[in-house]
Amino acid sequence: MRFIERESGLKKVLRSFDSFIAINLALAVAFFTLFLILPVLSSAVEAFLDKGAISLRPIIEVLTNPEYVRLPPSLEVVRVEPVYGIVNGSVVPLGYIVSIGRYGPDFGKLVNSLFVSFTTAAIATVLGVIAAFVMSRYRFPGKSVFGVLLIVPLLATPFVNGYVIGRVFGRDGLINMFVREVLGFRNVTIELVGLPAVILVQSLSFFPIVYLNAYASMINLDPSLEEQAENLGSSGLRLFRTITFPLSLPGVAAGAALVFIFSLEDLGAPIGVKAAFGLGLHNKLLSYDVYDHFRKAYALELVSRSAYAVTFLMLLISSVGFILIRSYVSLRQYAMLSKGGRWAPRVRSVKGWRKVAVPLGLAIILAITSFPQIGTILMAFSDWAITGTAPRNFRIEYFLTIASDADIVRAIGNSVRYSLMALAVMVLVGGGLAYITSRRRVPGSGVLDLLATLPIAIPGIVIGVGYMTFFNTYFRGTILSPVDYPTNLLVFTYSARRIPFVVRPIYAGLQQVHVSLEEAAHNLGASRNRVYLTVILPLIIGNVVAGALTAFVYSMNEVSTSLLLGARDPERAPLTYWISDRIGGQTLGAVSAAAAACVLLMILQLASIAISNTILRQRVSFLGV
Amino acid sequence: MSIELVQVSKRFGKVLAVDKVSVEIEKGEFFTFLGPSGCGKTTTLRIIAGLEIPDEGRVIMDGADITYLPPHKRDTAMVFQNYALWPHMTVFENVAYGLKVRKYPKEEIRRKVKEVLELVRLEGLEDRYPTQLSGGQQQRVALARALVVEPKALLLDEPLSNLDAKLRIEMREELKRIQKSLNITAVYVTHDQEEAMVLSDRIAVMNRGRVVQIGSPEELYGRPKTLFVATFIGKYNILEGVVREVEGDTVSIESSGVRIRGVLPSSDVKPSVGEVVYAVFRPHGAYLKPSSDRDNEFFGKISLVSYLGEHLEVRVETKLGKMLIYLPPDFRLPLGESIKFYVPQHNVLVYPKKGEEVYSV
Ligand SMILES: Nc1ncnc2c1ncn2[C@@H]1O[C@H](COP(=O)(O)OP(=O)(O)OP(=O)(O)O)[C@@H](O)[C@H]1O
Ligand SMILES: [Mg+2]
Repeated sequence: MRFIERESGLKKVLRSFDSFIAINLALAVAFFTLFLILPVLSSAVEAFLDKGAISLRPIIEVLTNPEYVRLPPSLEVVRVEPVYGIVNGSVVPLGYIVSIGRYGPDFGKLVNSLFVSFTTAAIATVLGVIAAFVMSRYRFPGKSVFGVLLIVPLLATPFVNGYVIGRVFGRDGLINMFVREVLGFRNVTIELVGLPAVILVQSLSFFPIVYLNAYASMINLDPSLEEQAENLGSSGLRLFRTITFPLSLPGVAAGAALVFIFSLEDLGAPIGVKAAFGLGLHNKLLSYDVYDHFRKAYALELVSRSAYAVTFLMLLISSVGFILIRSYVSLRQYAMLSKGGRWAPRVRSVKGWRKVAVPLGLAIILAITSFPQIGTILMAFSDWAITGTAPRNFRIEYFLTIASDADIVRAIGNSVRYSLMALAVMVLVGGGLAYITSRRRVPGSGVLDLLATLPIAIPGIVIGVGYMTFFNTYFRGTILSPVDYPTNLLVFTYSARRIPFVVRPIYAGLQQVHVSLEEAAHNLGASRNRVYLTVILPLIIGNVVAGALTAFVYSMNEVSTSLLLGARDPERAPLTYWISDRIGGQTLGAVSAAAAACVLLMILQLASIAISNTILRQRVSFLGV
Repeated sequence: MSIELVQVSKRFGKVLAVDKVSVEIEKGEFFTFLGPSGCGKTTTLRIIAGLEIPDEGRVIMDGADITYLPPHKRDTAMVFQNYALWPHMTVFENVAYGLKVRKYPKEEIRRKVKEVLELVRLEGLEDRYPTQLSGGQQQRVALARALVVEPKALLLDEPLSNLDAKLRIEMREELKRIQKSLNITAVYVTHDQEEAMVLSDRIAVMNRGRVVQIGSPEELYGRPKTLFVATFIGKYNILEGVVREVEGDTVSIESSGVRIRGVLPSSDVKPSVGEVVYAVFRPHGAYLKPSSDRDNEFFGKISLVSYLGEHLEVRVETKLGKMLIYLPPDFRLPLGESIKFYVPQHNVLVYPKKGEEVYSV
């Protein structure tokens, strides 16, 4: 009788690591600890420090400060003011200004932020769900064109989108030209500023996120679920309300939550609107507040305590949202009965008047939601930014000013450099992470899975602030010091924030590669590293490239940390920092340069989407919880 | 190579997939794990390959303990149920992979691949991709890929289950031919008892993670040690009864008022008088003429006759229920006629009902 020993639990765990798994796991854990968790935690800790002691005072001070929570709030959304002029030596009324959003609503920065994020998420959800339902369930003239065009609103035009709104809704804007010249109300001027302007800009920019998520879950619904309902006599709106919508709720909810978080942390709209209208209620938001605190402080030590308290509150709000949505989505997993549209979804042809109405409705949604992009292009190629009401004087010279703008040229180089370096980090860490989580060989891979999506949920501002406190405390005097080399840190803020874009497609690719393909190679004597290089990588290379492209583009577009850290070393700051600088610039042509830079970013993004789609032969829907 | 599993167990969460399995497989033997779906066959094979590590027990190859040796350091080659051919490599590249890993010179790789493709009769398909092959061809590529590295043991997980019936029989013979000509140890996994019977030198029947009996095909068919094995392998008739008399290994039972005499298949179990048991006999075990006066005699009406080539399968409605018997092909009796047949005592095996399991699909 041989002696049979029982394996201890620890031994068993250790045995499931070979060097490949161990190295990748160590890499992932080290990366997330150092570049995400610790910085975020340290920013949170700062919020509870008051003169070196642990205290709730900074938080309480924020919550009781009327700047942050205004009681009672101002609800004067619309104010009509007469405009007087002097005619022949006497003061006479010339007309009226209808101001929307200039004096209200204002609930104080904290509640304003919540209000804006909720409203934006709601509007984006309505638009996104309608578009997704129509696109996933109906066949109508021009559908394939819409399929492509619906990407346009997703193209990033940071800051400039807000400025475009100013050009449209400002006192000299397109709307007023329309009111005066076309409608004939010569003495009425309308303006849209403040929170409504921010909500408008953000809803337009973020609605594709809901659209993509809702579309994906509607496409992935088991068609028999709908067929069964139709079979029982349900159709049209009732079918949508009782079956399609409830079943695609996980996707919709995930999209809505993302919009909420993106809106909460957005700096582009407040800064863009400010550039058009000057400081106003549109700047009474948490994100702008933190940015402003850090921008104005000469030294990090001088940043007020309330900035950290606000950062913490943002983290709290977004994490609660993230946790709620994650548990909700996983509870509702039943709806996502399959991954990847293996079955053909139910698509019906529209009939009669709807043949016109459906494309027309979509076209209107599309025209409105892609106005920031259209406006940016107009601004880059006309004198719209310089002179008045409507874009005139189209020529390429405005666009070309960018080439002679030394700051912008240098900034493009900087951005490309940081993004490429971040890309290397992301592919290295993200590839291993995706492998470990998809193969679930290691206990605790669920935690890694969570880590891989977490960055989406953490506002960029929180990460930026976290880096400044953490690396200033523990890496002082090194190349990672935010005082001496703030922009070096951008490589890591980009990688930490954008790594989900790399992990998701690689993970999806690995799901398609049956594990026995790997085992067969392993069994024939290949080491894990060799298996990875000769069997797995060739099979998922398309996904790796697609993920890398997306991550690169979104690094180039990154705003929050680029601004926070870039402002501390403008020489080495990335492109988005300089766009924000130019959009607020007073010199002639500055805004055109900003718009031109955004056009470049759009071209980059379009190219990457085109390449990814060709490689993967399917729409990459890259945003989701 | 000889392979030994010593008290091997493997658990997945709450499922005990493999439960204290011990077997000794000899060099050059064709050894099969046979059992119903989910009984732990694949897991056992994967433990031999090193793709799973057992929670308890040892895996010994040629006397060396390799329980924890990673798969790529074991000299085994596995043929997967889904073949696991790499879609981005040609047939040649698939087959050459293991040789490249072993750092063979280019010329030798080419020669060996050519040889093995001839062996599995796939000459000329080197440059095709797996998707351009039929199921049978893919299966042979998978086999070639495993054989070419001259492994000490060939592990096969239901390699024929994805093929149609005719091809399955062809490939079965091919497999046996190749295995014998190379004199390689083969460990085979299947749920198809006929396949196991045809191919194997020895079979381990598994149920619920345990090996319930190991033996040659003849032993398993003729002397199944448990009711499960008896009912899993081959066709059978089963009667429930109460023990009236036990004498040595012969038992006399009563079923619906009829006396049936049978034998105990193993000396481990001894039912006591009054215990409920099952009596099992094969269709082969019935004859039209008695061989001794101790034969069991049954009487009934013919309800179905099927011609199965070398014999007739006859269904008889008896007082004890339907029975299936095989009769010589020259036998002639129309449906509905009465028939009397005899089952010698040694052809009836008696199993206790308690704690035993009848296999039913
Ligand atoms: N990786 C795994 N995780 C969890 N449970 C598993 C895993 N692999 C196998 N099992 C479970 O262990 C048991 C035995 O599985 P195994 O694959 O060995 O059965 P099998 O005899 O090969 O069945 P089949 O004939 O269906 O292939 C089953 O209940 C199965 O569900
Ligand atoms: Mg199996």
